[in-house]
Parts: sequence; C-alpha cells; structure tokens
Amino acid sequence: MNLSFQILSDQFLLNFSYLWLIVIATTIGIIIGAMPGFGSANTIIMLLPFTLAVDVDVAMIFMVSLFVASHMGGGITSILLNIPGNGGSAATCLDGYPMARKGLGQQALVLSFVASTVGGMVTALLSIFLLPYIARLAFYMHSVEMVVILLFGITLIASVASDNMLKGLIAGFLGLLIGAIGADHIYSTPRGTFGFIELYDGVPLIAVLIGVFAISEALIMMENSSVLSDAGRQMMKQAGWKETWEGVVMSFQRTWHMIWTGIIGLIIGIVPGAGASIAAFVAYQQSRLYSKTPEKYGTGIPEGVIAPESANNGCASGDLIPLLVIGVPGGTTAAVMLIVMTYHGVQLGPRLFIQNPGLGYGVFITMLVAYAVMLFTTLPLTKYVSKLVLIPTPVLAPIIIAFTLVGAFAPRGYMFDLWLTLIFGAIGYVCRKTGFNVVALLIGVILGPMLEANVMRALRISGNDPWVFVSSPVGNVLWVALAVSLAIPSIVQWRRNRAASRAATA
Amino acid sequence: MTNMFNRRHVLFAGAGALAASLAPAARATGAFPDKPLQVLIPTGEGGGVDQAARAFNRIWAKYLGANFEYSYFPGASGQVGYEVFISKRPADAYNILFGNIGPEMIMYATQKVKYKYPEDFVYLGSMDVDDSVIWVGSGSKFKTIQEMVDEGKKREITLSTSRLPHPSTIGALALAEATGMKVRMIPYGGGGPARSAAITGEVDGCATFLSSSLGLGDQARFLTVFNETNRAPELTNNAPPVNAALGTKIPPMSGQRAIAIHAKAVEAYPDRVKKLSDTFQQVFSDPDYKAVAEKAGTPWEFIQYGDAASCQKSAREFVELADRYRALLTATK
Repeated sequence: MNLSFQILSDQFLLNFSYLWLIVIATTIGIIIGAMPGFGSANTIIMLLPFTLAVDVDVAMIFMVSLFVASHMGGGITSILLNIPGNGGSAATCLDGYPMARKGLGQQALVLSFVASTVGGMVTALLSIFLLPYIARLAFYMHSVEMVVILLFGITLIASVASDNMLKGLIAGFLGLLIGAIGADHIYSTPRGTFGFIELYDGVPLIAVLIGVFAISEALIMMENSSVLSDAGRQMMKQAGWKETWEGVVMSFQRTWHMIWTGIIGLIIGIVPGAGASIAAFVAYQQSRLYSKTPEKYGTGIPEGVIAPESANNGCASGDLIPLLVIGVPGGTTAAVMLIVMTYHGVQLGPRLFIQNPGLGYGVFITMLVAYAVMLFTTLPLTKYVSKLVLIPTPVLAPIIIAFTLVGAFAPRGYMFDLWLTLIFGAIGYVCRKTGFNVVALLIGVILGPMLEANVMRALRISGNDPWVFVSSPVGNVLWVALAVSLAIPSIVQWRRNRAASRAATA
Repeated sequence: MTNMFNRRHVLFAGAGALAASLAPAARATGAFPDKPLQVLIPTGEGGGVDQAARAFNRIWAKYLGANFEYSYFPGASGQVGYEVFISKRPADAYNILFGNIGPEMIMYATQKVKYKYPEDFVYLGSMDVDDSVIWVGSGSKFKTIQEMVDEGKKREITLSTSRLPHPSTIGALALAEATGMKVRMIPYGGGGPARSAAITGEVDGCATFLSSSLGLGDQARFLTVFNETNRAPELTNNAPPVNAALGTKIPPMSGQRAIAIHAKAVEAYPDRVKKLSDTFQQVFSDPDYKAVAEKAGTPWEFIQYGDAASCQKSAREFVELADRYRALLTATK
C-alpha cells in the first residue's frame, strides 16, 4: 500500500477545496442521524443521481462526510429526549439523558460531539498509517470471536439492570426472544412471525427503538410539565457559552477514555456485519468495567456519554476498511458506496491502493476534515440545541410522537410498522412504569439476532461440535477477557466490603 | 485522481441529475407510462441485483419514457420481496420486480410461500446469465478443483454462500454427489459476508455467482465454473468448467437477473405489458448499455436477452432442481 506524504497532502488539499461540500454533507448527515428511522444508507441512495453524476473523488467526499456525520448526529436526541437516532446511539441514552435531566444537556452534547470527533479522528489516523495491519484483524475475527464480543455486550444487561436484577434480566430475556422473531439464519424458516410477512426479516429495529424509547418517553413526559427537574430547569435557563466550554474541558480531561473506546469501535467496525450498536454497547460495558466508580454509570456521568459516542464513530472508520481493502462492504452504507465506486470504474481491494492510493487513503482524510468541520459547526449550536428540553412537554410530546411515527414508517413503508411501533410504545411504557429496564430489553433485541447468527454459523462450520467455541486462540483470549470482566466487579465489591468491615471493626 | 472538477461542475451535474430524475419523461410516448415505474428489489440495497437493475434501467428509461423508483425488501432469501410484491403492490404494470430467477425459484420451491408461480407472477424477460463458481481465497492450499475434491473425500469442505436456496449451493451439492466429496454449505445472509468469510479463511471456499466475485481480483482463485464453457477465462484465472475438469455431468447452474410482473397485469393490461417487453428488449442493442453494464460489474459476455418463454423454462428447471435437492436445502435432513 503506497502511502506517501505527497498522497496525503494532495488529499488534504482536495478536501479543503471541497470544504463547502463537506459542510453541506455533514449538515445533512447530522440532521438525518438525529432523526430515528432516517439513516445514511437511505439518504445516500436518494442522492445517487448526484453521486453518480460527479467525479468519484467528489462523490466519496460527499458520501463519507454524510456517513460520519450521521454517526455523530444520533447522539443529539439520545441526550436531550432519550430517543436514539439510530442503534449506535442507543447506549448514549444511558447517561446522556440523565445528564440532560440534571440541566447538563449542553455539556452532554459537547461531550458527545468532542468524543465523536476524537474517536473518529484517532481511528481515521490509525487507519491511514496502520491500514494493512488493521485490515488483517478481519482475518482473525470470525464467527467464534464475534460470539464472545457479542457476549461482552449482552453482559451489559446485568450491569444496566443492577437496580433490580431480576426485572432487568427478565427484560433482557424478553428482548432476546423478540430478537429471535423472523426467518432463521440457516434455512430461512419463519419463527414467531404469526404469519406476518413483515416480520420475516425480524422485528425492525427502528420500530423497537421508536416505540420503546420515543413513544414511551413521550407518554411519560406528558405526565410532567417538563423534561427537566426543577433544579435542572433553572440551570438550563441560565446556560450560556460557559457550559459549552465546560463540556470541552470535561471531554479533554478524559482524552485517553475517548481514544481507547474509539479503538474498540474501530476493531468491531472492521468485522463485516458487525455495526455501531455492538460497538457502542461493548465500549460502554468496558468503560463501566474499568471505572473506579461503576455504580455512577446510568446516573449521568461524562464517561457514559463519551464511551458509546467515541466507539460508534470509531466504528464508522472500521466499517469502510473491508470495502476498501478487500472489496467487500461491511455494512449497508458501504454497500451503497460500492455502487457508486463500481459505477465510476474504481477497482476495490488491494489493487485500489496500488492503482489509486489517493482515493483509498482519501476516504480517511475526508473523515479527518469532516470531523474538524463538524466540531466547528456543532459546538456553537449546543447552546441553542440544548434549549430544546425547555419546551413544555404538552407541546414537545405530540411533536415527538408525530415525527418519530414518520420515522417508523419511512424505512419500509409498511403501515404494519406503525402499529408495531405503537405496540412497542405500550410495552416500553409498561416497562418503565413497572421498573423493567428498557435498555436491557433493547440490548436483547439488537444483539440477540447477531449472537444467534454467529452461534449457528460457528456450529454449522464445525459440524455442530460445541468445542468450536474454544478452538481459536484469539477466541480463547477473548473468553478469558470476558471471564475476567465478569469477575472483576465481584472481586472489587468483595474487597470493598472487606475493607469496610475492617474499618468498622478497627 | 483529478482536481479538475470545480464547484460549478458539481452544481451543474447535481442539478442535471436532479432534473433528470424528476422529469416526466413519458410525455411524448402515449398514455403508458405516465409516471415512474416502481421497482421492487427482493434483496438488499447495493447488492448485485440492485447494481444491475440500476444500470439496466438507466438505458431502459430512454425507450420506456419513464423513470424508476426503487424499494428494497430483503429477507428470508428473497421471500419477503416476492410476498410484498404479490400481496401489496397493485397489478397495474407500473409495479415490477427485479430479481434473479435461479435463487428465487429455488427459494419458491423450498420455502413455504403464500404465492404461486405462474398464477401470481411471471417473468417478462431476463438480462444476463451469470454462472455459479467455486473459488478460494489467495491463501488457500487448493490450486485446482481436483485438489479440493480429493481433500473433500478425507474431510468435509466448508463453502460459504449468500443463502442456501441458490444455484451455486445446488452446484456444490451436485458436485459432492457426483465425486463422493463431502461439502457443507454455510449461508452468511448476504454476498458480502460470504465472500469475506472465504477471503479471511473462515471457510474453505465460496460458492456464488461469478459476477459478484470478479471485483475481488487477486484475492480470489477460481477453481471451477458450473457451465459447459468458461465465458470469462481471463477474469477467472482460466478456471475449467466443472464437467471438463472432473468428468461429471452437472447441468449449468446459472442465475438470470430478470423482471417479473403480476400475472393479473398481463391479463388486464396487455398493451402496457407489450410495451414493457418491447422496450426491455431494445436495451440490448443500445451501445450505451455495454458501457453502463460493465461499469456495474457485469462483463459484457454475461449480458444476454431472454424472453418470457425462456424465463419460464428456466424457472421450471430450477423448481425441478430444488425438488431434487430439497432435503439438503431445507431443515428436513
């Protein structure tokens, strides 16, 4: 892979000459990222007439900018309204929304934007300089390894449900059951679909996201006059530029946190089929695991916003690596980019970096420039966007319901999805009222199907030999790490109890 | 790499593209079509069918006098798309389905579907013939199909595939039956992950359509082609046809991308359907089509017009093949 200073400088110059286009693309990306039901893949498909008509470099600048911006935008509604714009920002709700309720919405938004930027930039830089080595990771991350990584994410159910373990586990189990609806991964035999063809491809994630989060949250909102606590409302009214600066300081006090959670996202993103939602949940779980104050997660702490946001933007870098290096798209947006690149006659895979290294590395340069642009366009907006939560809930809640129902309908155009969303809204509302954790339910819905697919595939490859799960060196290392991560909280708790009892007897 | 495109070019190109996509191009050619055709694709966006459909329709629009709007309904090996097309799309000839006869008729034969062929839909015409192949990653120890067969007699060979109901799956199973090798097909739910699994060495090789793997370059070593001749030897390291290499008698296992329409539309709107058929055929003699088809990744050697009768013959052959291998393609074994 022929990387030179000349290529990088040419690419920076090219990107700076299209700064206006990057501003447009990132603005669109942030807006669609924040809207549940609208994603970068749908948007890029709608804009194919444009990307097919212009030069491939210009098309890539536009698509890559829009793609990374959509990852950044997802956090906005997660933080302010407890409504994730997409699966990748669902984990951001865990601490982002509690921060907003405390009147720290502006700081939380800044944390989200800075973490997205740092996570995205660091992983883009790593991708530029270590591309051949990073791409090799895909050769070691097969179904068995993915099973373990997914289990990291699924163990988060126990963590988020620590207030009431039994109810949390029930919610998580219900989520796993819902995730099992649809055609099976080997023979396409429908299960639990009740004959509805709309469920053959599984329960649509958007309907679950919007129902469980947006609709149920809007119903809860209507029971109060404001999203904010009284103290939080006072703080938000007085908020100015100082809070933006506070958010920036908070972020850079946790620079290493932003970097390592971004790298988790990068590694997970490289695996074709894995996505930002796994990356965000695993990063959150790891962040909580290695925290000195894990009990504060879920109450609104900066690390709980940084980890998922940095990871899902790191994942955006990783997502494009299989497309560029081996010519296989890692996700839907990458598949649409493949259409454009193929149309323009671009040879993907190793030859790309021999025949047209500028285009290959240019993708990551575009990411760097797009993140830099977004930081300057988004940070000043946090002061104003965060005021959204001051809107009285009798006005806000109906708007949320109306907009998100459009989002539920848009991806597939089924009326069925609207009804399904409302059903999940009712389920979410009942869960919230009765103390069942909706995030635990969502983790089951998102990660369950992926876990099943990878388990089934690993078993089929091995001829149904269960020992396959401990047959790979990389997988075994991950199993040990998983066991350690499960044991650490108990060990820490035991040591704390012992120290406390010693202190009491002393 | 070029920096010659300036802001004005981009704006013109964007405005032109937008105008083209919005223009009511049908005005001059009569009553049908007077609005865009709705194209339903039963696989994911960005996949092989999507790329081929978009390339084809770019030229077809000139003759048909209408533009196209796309929707995607992947799931259950294409069943979701067909069910939606039959049960939810009006039978007015404005709604067409762009699919692949081979995999989707095998799916029809092996899964419990709610529609009937040819009572509910028919294929109007096909646009290419894409052969099934088996290839391995560049790091694989298999240099020839004979080596793979020999190894397959000692242990089970794993081959990735996008979905079990697929001509390449039947090809691999027929190969196993004919040679005594053992093969296990591993469905990955999509062409991309299936190709990735073979390149990264999770499985021994990949069974798929040829055109979807041509972009992989040196990362893929083609071992055999399931047809009587290899129509693209220079793109496939001159891989031998399976029967020539192994002395077997396996029938061609090819996919044909094709458009389908409601059977009711054929009865109710014969004029519309005739116009669709006639203009569909005109595309193949348009010199511009070669350029856009190749840009979309389909070698020109694969482009081949097939009329409704040949599509029907092919569809029935795949149903028969699927019946023969039903036990291996479904959970009944």
